[in-house]
Amino acid sequence: MKKTNESKSHKIRLSKSDRSLQVVSILVTVASMLVILFPFVLTISSAMKDNMKIYDVPPKLLPDSSNSLSVAVDYTGFSGTQEELEAQLQDDMVSTMFGVYSKLNRDSIFEVKFYGTRDNATIFYSRAHQTQLQLEKDYGIYEGTVLQDQTLLYKDRAERVSHIIGYEFDPHGLAKHSAPDSIQAETLEKLNLVFDKKFKLHGQLSACGMHKNNLLLLESFIHYMKLPNYMYDANPVIARFGFLSFVGNTVIVIGFAIISQVFLCSLCAFVISRLLRPRAARIMLLFFMGAQMIPFASIMLPQLIMYRNIGAYNNYAALLLPFLYPFGFYIYLFKGFFDRIPGSYFEAARLDGASNFFLYIRICMPLSKPTIALIALQTFLGNWNDFFWAWLVTERQELWTLNVALYNIANNTSTKQNALMGIALVTMLPVIVIALIFSKQLKASIMSSGVKG
Amino acid sequence: MSTRKKSESGYFFRQKLAPWLLLAAPIVFTLWLKYYPILKAVLISFFNYNPIHQPGELPGEFVGFQNYATMFHTEYYWQAWRNSFVFLILQMLMTFFIPIIQALFLNELRRMKNIFSTMYLLPTLIPGTINVIIWRWVWHPDYGVANQIVRFFGGEPQLWLSDPALVKFCIIFPGVLGGGISVLLYLSAIQNISPDIMESASLDGCTGWKRIWHITLPNIRYIIFIQMVISVSAAMQLLDAPYMFAAGGPSGASTTQGIYIYNSFNKDFNYGRGSAASVILMLVVMVMTMIQMHFENAEQE
Repeated sequence: MKKTNESKSHKIRLSKSDRSLQVVSILVTVASMLVILFPFVLTISSAMKDNMKIYDVPPKLLPDSSNSLSVAVDYTGFSGTQEELEAQLQDDMVSTMFGVYSKLNRDSIFEVKFYGTRDNATIFYSRAHQTQLQLEKDYGIYEGTVLQDQTLLYKDRAERVSHIIGYEFDPHGLAKHSAPDSIQAETLEKLNLVFDKKFKLHGQLSACGMHKNNLLLLESFIHYMKLPNYMYDANPVIARFGFLSFVGNTVIVIGFAIISQVFLCSLCAFVISRLLRPRAARIMLLFFMGAQMIPFASIMLPQLIMYRNIGAYNNYAALLLPFLYPFGFYIYLFKGFFDRIPGSYFEAARLDGASNFFLYIRICMPLSKPTIALIALQTFLGNWNDFFWAWLVTERQELWTLNVALYNIANNTSTKQNALMGIALVTMLPVIVIALIFSKQLKASIMSSGVKG
Repeated sequence: MSTRKKSESGYFFRQKLAPWLLLAAPIVFTLWLKYYPILKAVLISFFNYNPIHQPGELPGEFVGFQNYATMFHTEYYWQAWRNSFVFLILQMLMTFFIPIIQALFLNELRRMKNIFSTMYLLPTLIPGTINVIIWRWVWHPDYGVANQIVRFFGGEPQLWLSDPALVKFCIIFPGVLGGGISVLLYLSAIQNISPDIMESASLDGCTGWKRIWHITLPNIRYIIFIQMVISVSAAMQLLDAPYMFAAGGPSGASTTQGIYIYNSFNKDFNYGRGSAASVILMLVVMVMTMIQMHFENAEQE
């Protein structure tokens, strides 16, 4: 209560111009926030739509809620061996899942659960997320095939797919899963559309049901991350580690850049600031700053020729070498800081017979932690956007950094937009979370740098 | 005697030689990784470069300034420069002032300044590729948001990135969202204006809009100028964004100097011409940087 009084009395003192400025400031800032959040909202909403809804015109802001479909098929009266029964169940499971995926694509069915029953006992259970089916269709076993029974069940395809998706089978009944026992009329109507000509079941459709489950929208992201594994399955490293190999490369490049820049630039700045005469110091600073002013586009070609000649092409050397020389601007920042360290520190240490190296390691470095953080941050932000050089020198997919991989995935015509947006979101989310956690330090170091690097 | 000599040589070592020994590796790497390539670009630009020449031989036939002459006579080269300047003008008109405005108004807020300044950092954290992925979807002629908005206001749907007249606009437009590091830089410059100036201004009745126009803006004009020079030089070197958005197309409408150089050696295998363009680009950027440093020095004195 007291507070509102205070702020009220404060407001009264404002002039008219001040008040309109206040109002406009709030409006402009809030509008800016909405605009800045727009790409994120678009990414999230696109990533949560399914493959059909994303192409709807006009596009909807919010994704539709996702449905989970359960189908139970009865095999009572089946007279054959256990292996034959399992094969039939696999066939029916694949027919059901891909039948629903291709025929009921407007119903936002994100999950299909398939149950097999015999003599009132549930003997078979499997479930697949829609994105899993989409990946199989786009890059996996059914790449480029028309979805219908003949192609789905051709040779051992059904067996392979059902092993990838996973299922549980026990002829004596599964304890954990129990099949639905009622038929939802609405769902049956839809399923009848599926099982008319192209898709057929061996068993009898005994129960079905559909319910909403919006958590399935989030599960999509887990499967989006498997996209690289499917897309580049010819490459053993990507097939095994998938998206993580791109993350790993980015971490290697950025980590190396940060370590080498912090070490080299601080060393150079220490020598320039503390050991050289003013004239020599000025020349050396100009030498390093000048090197950084050479635009990348200008040396792209000779650099490529040179790196190729020394064998730094299509390997980590090509990615890391460009960071092995000190960046002039960072030397400048370090030097500015070292210049402000009182000379008495150094004189005292010198009198005790300390070496130059000791001065650098024990005096300069411990004092310059904020500057080190600033350089590390600047290097990170610079590399986080770096694309062209990494793209130019990497042909092998296991060398791709995140930017190169995302560019290539985006330019692949078979990539679906929702998967692309999902991968994009997962890529930037960790960095944003880290940035929000350390936002105080982040802002302090940016604001202290004064000039954008 | 001998000890004295030893301490003298130790002194010499510590004072004269040690600094240069410490600097040796950085100097060598800088020469090797930065200065040598640019000199090589100058060299190649005088040759009809043969990429598969034997080591030790001349890299091809010496042609003097012919690479430059033919390049200056091709329309495509000048189109690349025109594109660069259109990019520059668009950037200046559309995106350059937005962070300044955002910082000015952010500084006027009485609460939540902290949260908002953190939010302004978000665009910096989107890597370039992802920005391109998002905006290519926005500009999609059939399913994109952009055409949806145009239709809503009764306009004709556009081809956006496939339209030579609009492609530059589409590439620069994402910057209109503003935010990024520059907002914080302007904000810190505004907050560093001495409180005395602000106080005396308010005593003289200079408040509200007048204060922004007559006090705040003139006091941060230096950093605005520096940012402008940086963004001019960045516009000249534009490479990643136009390449990722449209690969220099359609029909060369987004080809910048960087893409021109890249196409010269990657598509036409004309290393000489690519190097000639590299040298010219470097000279232009160098002149701009010198202007920047000149003004920076003038301001400091």
